[in-house]
Amino acid sequence: MKQVLEGSQAVAEAVRLARVQVVSAYPITPQTHIVETLSDYCATGKMNAKFLRVESEHSCMAALIGAQSAGVRTFTATSGQGLALMHELLHWASGARLPIVMAEVNRALAPGWNIWVDQTDSLAQRDTGWIQFYCEDSQEVIDTTLLAYKLAESVALPVMVVLDAFFLSHTYEPVDVPEQEEADRFLPPYEARFELDPKNPCTFGPLVPPAVYMEMRHDMAAAMDTALANFAQIEDDYERIFGRRYGAVEAIACDDAEIVFVTSGTITSTARLVLQNLRSRGEKLGILKIKLFRPFPVEEIRKALKGAKKIAVIDRNFSFGASGIFAQEVRAALCNAPVHAPVFGYIAGIGGRDVTPEVLEEIYWKTKNSAAPERESVWIGLQEVRHGN
Amino acid sequence: MAQKSQAQLKAENPIHIMPRSTQSTEANKTGSWRYLRPRYEEKTAPCSAACPAGEDIGKIEMLTAQGLFKEAWETILRENPFPGVCGRVCFHPCEGACNRREFDDPIAIHSLERFLADTAERDDLKPLIERLPSRPEKVAIAGAGPSGLAAAWFLTQLGYACDVFEASAEAGGILRWGIPLYRLPLNALRREIAQIEAQGVRILTGKPVTTDLLTDLKSGYQAIYLACGHGRTTELCIPGESLAGVQDGLAFLSKVRAGDTPACQGTSAIIGGGNTAVDVARSIVRLGGRAVILYRRRRQDMPAFGDEVQMALDEGVELVELVAPAQIESADGRCRVVLRAMKVAGEDGSRARVEPDGDKTSEVIVDRLFKATGAEAAEGWYNPPALASSILTLSHCTLEKKNGGPVKIYGGDVTNDIKSVVHAVASGKQAAMALDMLFREGPDAILPKLDGCTVGNGPSLSMEIYMGGERRLRNPHVVSYSEINADYFRYSPRMSQPRLVREERVRSFAEIDLRVSGNIAMREAERCFNCGLCNQCDNCHLFCPDISVIHDQSAQGRHINYDYCKGCGLCVVECPRNAMTLEEEIR
Repeated sequence: MKQVLEGSQAVAEAVRLARVQVVSAYPITPQTHIVETLSDYCATGKMNAKFLRVESEHSCMAALIGAQSAGVRTFTATSGQGLALMHELLHWASGARLPIVMAEVNRALAPGWNIWVDQTDSLAQRDTGWIQFYCEDSQEVIDTTLLAYKLAESVALPVMVVLDAFFLSHTYEPVDVPEQEEADRFLPPYEARFELDPKNPCTFGPLVPPAVYMEMRHDMAAAMDTALANFAQIEDDYERIFGRRYGAVEAIACDDAEIVFVTSGTITSTARLVLQNLRSRGEKLGILKIKLFRPFPVEEIRKALKGAKKIAVIDRNFSFGASGIFAQEVRAALCNAPVHAPVFGYIAGIGGRDVTPEVLEEIYWKTKNSAAPERESVWIGLQEVRHGN
Repeated sequence: MAQKSQAQLKAENPIHIMPRSTQSTEANKTGSWRYLRPRYEEKTAPCSAACPAGEDIGKIEMLTAQGLFKEAWETILRENPFPGVCGRVCFHPCEGACNRREFDDPIAIHSLERFLADTAERDDLKPLIERLPSRPEKVAIAGAGPSGLAAAWFLTQLGYACDVFEASAEAGGILRWGIPLYRLPLNALRREIAQIEAQGVRILTGKPVTTDLLTDLKSGYQAIYLACGHGRTTELCIPGESLAGVQDGLAFLSKVRAGDTPACQGTSAIIGGGNTAVDVARSIVRLGGRAVILYRRRRQDMPAFGDEVQMALDEGVELVELVAPAQIESADGRCRVVLRAMKVAGEDGSRARVEPDGDKTSEVIVDRLFKATGAEAAEGWYNPPALASSILTLSHCTLEKKNGGPVKIYGGDVTNDIKSVVHAVASGKQAAMALDMLFREGPDAILPKLDGCTVGNGPSLSMEIYMGGERRLRNPHVVSYSEINADYFRYSPRMSQPRLVREERVRSFAEIDLRVSGNIAMREAERCFNCGLCNQCDNCHLFCPDISVIHDQSAQGRHINYDYCKGCGLCVVECPRNAMTLEEEIR
């Protein structure tokens, strides 16, 4: 049934449909509406779940590690500083192979204090062993959250479903909300591969010596690879029931494109409009939307960018001393391909600044009119700022 | 990898789970890391230390919350034979000390005490009270007021035979003859006196305490407890005091309690600000008269209970503050009272110090005047003698040991600074303990023994501790609010005491405070923090990260396995009621 929902509410609906049993969260803007809705569902019995209030995001993830270890499906949502505080336990959750699912509403890191969208918070967690999805609209949010549980549980790794602050978390759109019966058909009850059992006591997470640790890490690496393959099959299942699929990446008009934008999150939607405008004027623009960031779908990216003459990666994030993070990843994916186009890196929309069609057109013309990429990232729309004393 | 089928990948990459080990680590006695040591240690609740009778209130409320009403009632009786009386008329200093007052509102301790007494009455419960083997000594008690009766109760527990001698026709003293029925119905009092008699105490009424009686008693008794009370109203020492219209407040109350209905039409003035003054005024209202209280200080300085004053005013009693009677004159069969205006000249403890406001005077003409400024012993020798080597002055009683003849011990109003029922009970208890020590171990043993029986840091005494009960194991440290883990408690309003409405109150002497249901009482008792006491909540077990809190069959129900307890202190922090202690490990 179609409902008009915020991105945040779409997450909550998916969590309800997934029959999550333990929700824990510490309040932080802009994810607030997600756990607000879920706490209401837990309190009113709309969900048969325990809502754990905690004193910090660190405790929140610790609580979920405990709950998931006890054999139940879990969920949390956070943003920005909250995610940063969870960092240690993000490693713990993936190392313990716990398929926890989290909604991460991208928020800029402080100082300066800023509650608006910026991907640096989630991308800074790229090495924690969490699968990461970036969503474009509310429909994708609800679908991806359901997909996330199935994928996480298939490989015993946690998943982060990432959405842009406000542009997605707080924007109302019509969303097709699955029926519970359909959701159940797609996502069977959680069967833990391991659960705490007082009758069979053991130490969990004990000291692991050098003789085994490396193999353990290799297993995680292999599980990430498996996740990539499983995702395609899980999307097949999803499409059979709901008629929708997204792909790890989406290549839009890339076949004959000379310049391809690489985008993620809500910027993709704006880029779709720009693509129509430029195409109508004879400009051959294509878009490669990256949905799955971890594991990074190298082969699909290479394939989609094979015909491009120039690649323009638009990053709403920045790795200081290096470049935009998506640009780094795309360059890394391409560098060992036999032939590949030059990669232009653009930084836009940091800290919630609007990325308008005009901004994207500016990126297009800059790319078209430059013979080769500059060595450093190009920051779009920087203004003169007068510094006070 | 993306090109490979899932089946292929599964075969190559089996899904692994959390690293874990089933090897025992018991050999690693991590308790050796500990430098802090938690232990179970019950402490003292502030209410119980504030109760002159030292009632074990935290435990009483715990039992009440569990529905163990008989056990709760017996826990009171161990320290005070008068729950039905004190639940009604005690000024409940316990509630002023309740830690819950810093959270929301104090527990309605007095209402619960009365509830337990009501329950005992309704179910006709018989208390099971521990009693020591019989002793050869006999004790005579002069005065069947709360102090004398309490002494008889405790002496009986300690194995002594007691006879109580009472001047009036019925036992109870001030409870029987001074406190109006709307505060203390006769049944409630008679039941508790009968309970004392049921323990074997003989009460001989119509036996005034005279020097002849004392002489008679010398032969049959080894000790005499003199608890004759303050039965005579103090003189005003002003001209006109002995005029016909001037009456004694206590005598008036006694007449009403004897069933008389003295004439009260017109206006009566009452001089004083204590409970007697308020009781007289409210009794007059009930007998159809108009009552005016004349008080030399301000309302907030009145020694009468605030609640009683408020109800008196609601019932139509008038209060004139800052006036002192200077002279009483006869005026056509009525009384003209000349009043000197007073003014506040400073603070004297918690109440105002007053002095005459220049020469300002006023006067009132009333139909009769009651004196209720205070009371004193009816006979001078009812009071303990002045300091001498043969005298041992304790906090609530005075012991006189002369060579030859029985020991004399004085208690109740004649020795207490605060003349209250519960202080009278405290006197009786202390006298019983002192006599017991005297008989068993001699005079030098009294003070050290009493010091070991205080609740908290005293002066309240516990008979349970004296008799070697479990309560003696508690640390006397009085738990403060900051030591309570308030996170474990929810705000909930204090129960409201159901009462007769004002219109009904003024028409009769029916009891004002009504009974409450078991439901309400249990809910109120559940609000109690049970400061310092373990109620088996099991938080220590739940929170112990080293699985070192082990359930067992002991009274405590659990113990700490120090082989593995690392001394993190979580159990102590998470104990909601400070029934655990964390100390430095001594190695």
